Amino acid sequence: MKESIKLTINEQALTAKPGQTILDVAWANDIDIPRLCYLKGLSGVGACRLCMVEVRGVPRLLAACVARVTDGMEVITDSPKLKSYRKMVLELLLAERNHICAFCVASGNCELQDLAQSLGVTHVRYPYRFPNFKVDASHDRFVHDPNRCVLCTRCLRTCEEIEGARTWNVRGRGIHSVMITDLNQPWGESPTCTTCGKCVQACPTGALVEKGRATGEMTRTGNLLPKLTSMRESGR
Amino acid sequence: MKIQHLDALNDIRETGLNKLLHSGPRIGVGMGTCGIGNGAHAVYEALKEALQKRGLDAYLGPVGCFGYCAVEPLVNVYLPGQPLVIFSEVKPEDAEYLVEELAAGRMPTRKALCRIEEWDFLTGEVTFGHGLPDIPRWDELPFFRGQKKIVLRNCGLINPEDLEEYIAIGGYFGLWQALNMPSTDEIIEEVKKSKLRGRGGAGYPTGVKWSLLQKAKADRKYMVCNADEGDPGAYMNRNEIESDPHMLLEGMMIGAYATGATEGIVYLRAEYPLAVQRLEKAVAACREAGLLGEGILGTEFAFNLQLVEGAGAFVCGEETAMVASLEGKAGRPQPRPPYPAESGLWGKPTNINNVETWCNVPVILARGGAWFAEVGTRNSAGTKVFSLVGKVQNTGLVELPLGTPLKDIVYGIGGGSPDGKRIKAIQTGGPSGGCIPALHFDTPVDYEALAELGAIMGSGGMVVMDEDNCMVDVARYFLEFTHSESCGKCIPCRVGLDESVRLLRKICDGEADMSDVEKLEELMPMIRDMSLCGLGQTAPNPVLTTLRYFRDEYDEHIRTRRCKAGVCENLYLSPCENSCPLNMRIPGYLQLIKEDRLEDAAEMIWLDNPLPASTGRICQHPCENRCRRADEDEAVNMREVHRYVADMAFESDLQRRVRERLMKGKLPETHKRVAVVGAGPSGLTAAFYLTMLGHNVMVFEEREEAGGMLRYSLPEYRLPRQVLMEELAVLEHIGVNITYRQRLGSGLSLDSLTEEYDAVFLATGTWNETQAGITGEDAPDVWHAIDFLEQVARNHPPPLGERVVVIGGGNAAVDSARTAIRLGASVTIAYRRERRDMPAIAEEVREAEEEGAELIFLSSPQRVVLDERGRVTGIELRRTKLGDFDASGRRTPVSTNEFFTLPCDAIIMAVGEKPEPDPMRRAGIQIRKNFTVVVDGITYETNVKGVHAGGDLVTGASNVSATMSTGKAAARAMDRILMGEDRMDRILKTFTYQNVAPREPEGGERNTSPVRKPGERKDNFDEVMLGLVAETALQESRRCLRCDVKQQCASRAPETEGALS
Repeated sequence: MKESIKLTINEQALTAKPGQTILDVAWANDIDIPRLCYLKGLSGVGACRLCMVEVRGVPRLLAACVARVTDGMEVITDSPKLKSYRKMVLELLLAERNHICAFCVASGNCELQDLAQSLGVTHVRYPYRFPNFKVDASHDRFVHDPNRCVLCTRCLRTCEEIEGARTWNVRGRGIHSVMITDLNQPWGESPTCTTCGKCVQACPTGALVEKGRATGEMTRTGNLLPKLTSMRESGR
Repeated sequence: MKIQHLDALNDIRETGLNKLLHSGPRIGVGMGTCGIGNGAHAVYEALKEALQKRGLDAYLGPVGCFGYCAVEPLVNVYLPGQPLVIFSEVKPEDAEYLVEELAAGRMPTRKALCRIEEWDFLTGEVTFGHGLPDIPRWDELPFFRGQKKIVLRNCGLINPEDLEEYIAIGGYFGLWQALNMPSTDEIIEEVKKSKLRGRGGAGYPTGVKWSLLQKAKADRKYMVCNADEGDPGAYMNRNEIESDPHMLLEGMMIGAYATGATEGIVYLRAEYPLAVQRLEKAVAACREAGLLGEGILGTEFAFNLQLVEGAGAFVCGEETAMVASLEGKAGRPQPRPPYPAESGLWGKPTNINNVETWCNVPVILARGGAWFAEVGTRNSAGTKVFSLVGKVQNTGLVELPLGTPLKDIVYGIGGGSPDGKRIKAIQTGGPSGGCIPALHFDTPVDYEALAELGAIMGSGGMVVMDEDNCMVDVARYFLEFTHSESCGKCIPCRVGLDESVRLLRKICDGEADMSDVEKLEELMPMIRDMSLCGLGQTAPNPVLTTLRYFRDEYDEHIRTRRCKAGVCENLYLSPCENSCPLNMRIPGYLQLIKEDRLEDAAEMIWLDNPLPASTGRICQHPCENRCRRADEDEAVNMREVHRYVADMAFESDLQRRVRERLMKGKLPETHKRVAVVGAGPSGLTAAFYLTMLGHNVMVFEEREEAGGMLRYSLPEYRLPRQVLMEELAVLEHIGVNITYRQRLGSGLSLDSLTEEYDAVFLATGTWNETQAGITGEDAPDVWHAIDFLEQVARNHPPPLGERVVVIGGGNAAVDSARTAIRLGASVTIAYRRERRDMPAIAEEVREAEEEGAELIFLSSPQRVVLDERGRVTGIELRRTKLGDFDASGRRTPVSTNEFFTLPCDAIIMAVGEKPEPDPMRRAGIQIRKNFTVVVDGITYETNVKGVHAGGDLVTGASNVSATMSTGKAAARAMDRILMGEDRMDRILKTFTYQNVAPREPEGGERNTSPVRKPGERKDNFDEVMLGLVAETALQESRRCLRCDVKQQCASRAPETEGALS
């Protein structure tokens, strides 16, 4: 296999290592691609579809978080079509559950909020679904509010891939999907949860938060997971 | 016993052949799910009992399904030396007869569907026997004509539970061949050469897929069969497994050997219990015979196979989701790459093919890839099995060479509509597919051509839809399906589909506006392009295709709040009201008559239809086509009831009271002036409503009397002039002004009208006869139907002579013929198509024949035969034969070289009418090639602002109620434009009456008006249909089932409870 790969992203000539994803390369070169389900240090699942990019000669759009770079690839990350699609995805997400920033402890520290601002989502054209999920505050330290969940499964992957506890899972399918702990038990009664709190750090919105925080008070340690994984990879 | 070498295989083949060609009678009962559902079990038991009772030594066993689902249960019978005969719709009570005949050494004939003399199983041939010419050969039946059975080669002929029978027809010889090829590369080469593509829907070349797996290096490779068939309306795979499980197993074994896979898995949905059971039996039989396990057929090849029952999630048809499901996880897809060929089940290289793909493999080995590639088209080789369902006469499983045009499937094999309705679309590929309109039915069925139209081949579901299917509802239905099957992993599919379903429901409920369609149009491409897996990527197809081809239906739902198909419940009152072009509130006036409120009924009728007496006589009554009473006995005679009410009014004081009521209901003067050009049914209708809405209306009529075609084209015996005059008097009474001898283009100009009036409605009709383009057409004794009928209507009947030939098959032709008969001529009608293709009202055709008209079909005019003085002596006709299906589903007549001449003294040409183009052209109004005017489908506005058009001028020659409906719709739109709001409902007064549906059908048999006898009617112009009387009209009203009553359950709950307890 060749040592380095040449490609362009938004007509900018770049080099990359084989095996890197488009997102890795963009990241390394300060090219911003919106993303939500992706979290450095976790496996890519290509679920949120915000990081979709155009690649010349490929009839489909590709998820930058999982698509590997190839030599001669020409990637476009910000065409008008992509921008409008991403806006729609975000609008849909905002309409799906109750993302009302004014009452959210994560306001100001929320990736969904940041994305809406950076993508210019000023209003939502679709009617809100206003689901009515029960908030699970049975855990001593944390709260799970499915009303603010975006189903990115970052908590699930963190728990499975980093902590190895497999507390989180998805129940149901389609629009009825919801994150659950163990066999849909209250989080506080979970026999598997180690209370490590990494899922709370991984959550992009106010769905998983620490107890005792008021609106806007839930802050997160930015680079916890990448740090953890790089520490593990280097054997420390 | 393990089969270790070719001799052993050949021995079993002999044993099996002795079963297939039994020394005594052999009876096979079609016992697929379809046959069993239709009672095959009982038939089997009855046959068993009858055989025992008779002591007849016969072989009795189950076979699979032969595909003709519409006539199940099928039973096939073989007597040595005779052809195999298939019997259809066999009942247990037929068993005795069948057995008795067989005992007597005779082939039974009752219920015999077809015979098979010899059969090419492709892996082997069998000759049953010859003879029995009275029973049609199987491929002579329309349902089988054009079919080519490659996948279904054995289905319905062999016992699916008997390995020996499969070997008898050459089964597992393909595997033997493969195992003895010099290298596995050659097997893959053969498959590549065959150009076989994946039959699951995506069409990926099978050979290429196999070589990916072959090249993959791993300690273990998997071979998977995708039998997770989940599309609504598709059951090909179920039938393939139920009828012939071994062909699937053999295909997989060959694939496994070629690619080096050692483990096989069939992922079969648990909802197919019979398929599961038969496949399990087949696997067990293979293990016993040494066809599965170690050392297969005495070679080194080892292959194990297991069955996994899927829980029926549609998304598990997606290969990565299926792999997840096989691993015991929730069925959610993964992004690809990695493709399963690299990393599939348990991270090992895996090949996944659809059932039908596997079933083709043994044949490719037996007959060679080149042979296979010759079937079908260049890019799509072989055949495809389709489950043909929906609005066709013949439903069932059909196998066709790829590239067969859709119309051959719908109209040929399917036999077209079962009840003469208009077929409007075919849905292919299930929820991931699209709706293809009838307009595109000459498209060949292959992967690329279907994709171009926005549909997909999919796994082969085909649902035929007719005018009773609402395309918005179809889109909603399929989207609700994919929405509920969405796994929820990616946002576009999970939330996008949810939002789309809500938008579609809103449209179907009549609560949407145009911005909702725009939102749909925006969401669909996003969901298609952004979704993670095939489910989301293809889910928009039903919406995208219906938006592309049936945009008018979306518009109609939103802009007029109507669902013409009568599916979306909120958007119509009842099937009859919905089918009536004028949307007459039929159940309402029938109920008012039942309540003895004739005056209310009359007012309601007039408000909905200003010409109730005329239409009561001559309307094509589309209301009857959808009347639910027809399911019980016959449709309610709604047309003649409103004729009765109108006739009653004219005969009594009721007329005055109706006029007074109408005057009272008129809206106040608006001081707007509207010009209507043409006093035909469309113009008069527009004038009526515009006057009722308070406008000042002036109608300009070219001739000296009003009524248009009703006055000058419809013969007196169908619509007496007196009746029309009475109706016109009502219109004039409420304030419709008519000025006569005003012809657009000469004296009357559109420019001056638009200047003088606030709005203009053009309804000048189709008064120009289309030329047939034959020599001698302009001879003096050749008449155009319209001119001829007009002359008679003006009381100047032209001299016709003794013998008259009428050319055409529409109402004008039949009217001309019956008129000519009344003028003393003997008449022959010549039509270039068949009787069932005649556009004329069937009753009229029948009455014409009763009066002595002779009909000849499949003959088109060629030349008028003239004598030396230029007088007509005959007409030369050319025989036609039926060719291909056209867009209307009728076969196009094709000329033959057979000519014949009918001697006659006069000819009446009734081959169609068209509008006069010049006045429109001069006014700058956009017209089509056939001279009809282009208008907006809902407002009827032309390209010239303020000028609307309607009637035949817009639609081409149609019928009275259709033409009136354009006048009604245009009046509504013109008023809305003039007044800035929709005011129509203000004049369409509502009536309160009892809303209870009858518990049992009431009123007895259908009442029709007495008809004068042919002998009494054929020499005069007196009216033929005499009309209902008070008693029969009341009886007829009582026959109504009140489909408009929709909330009955709630209001009658106490009574219902009583009835239950």
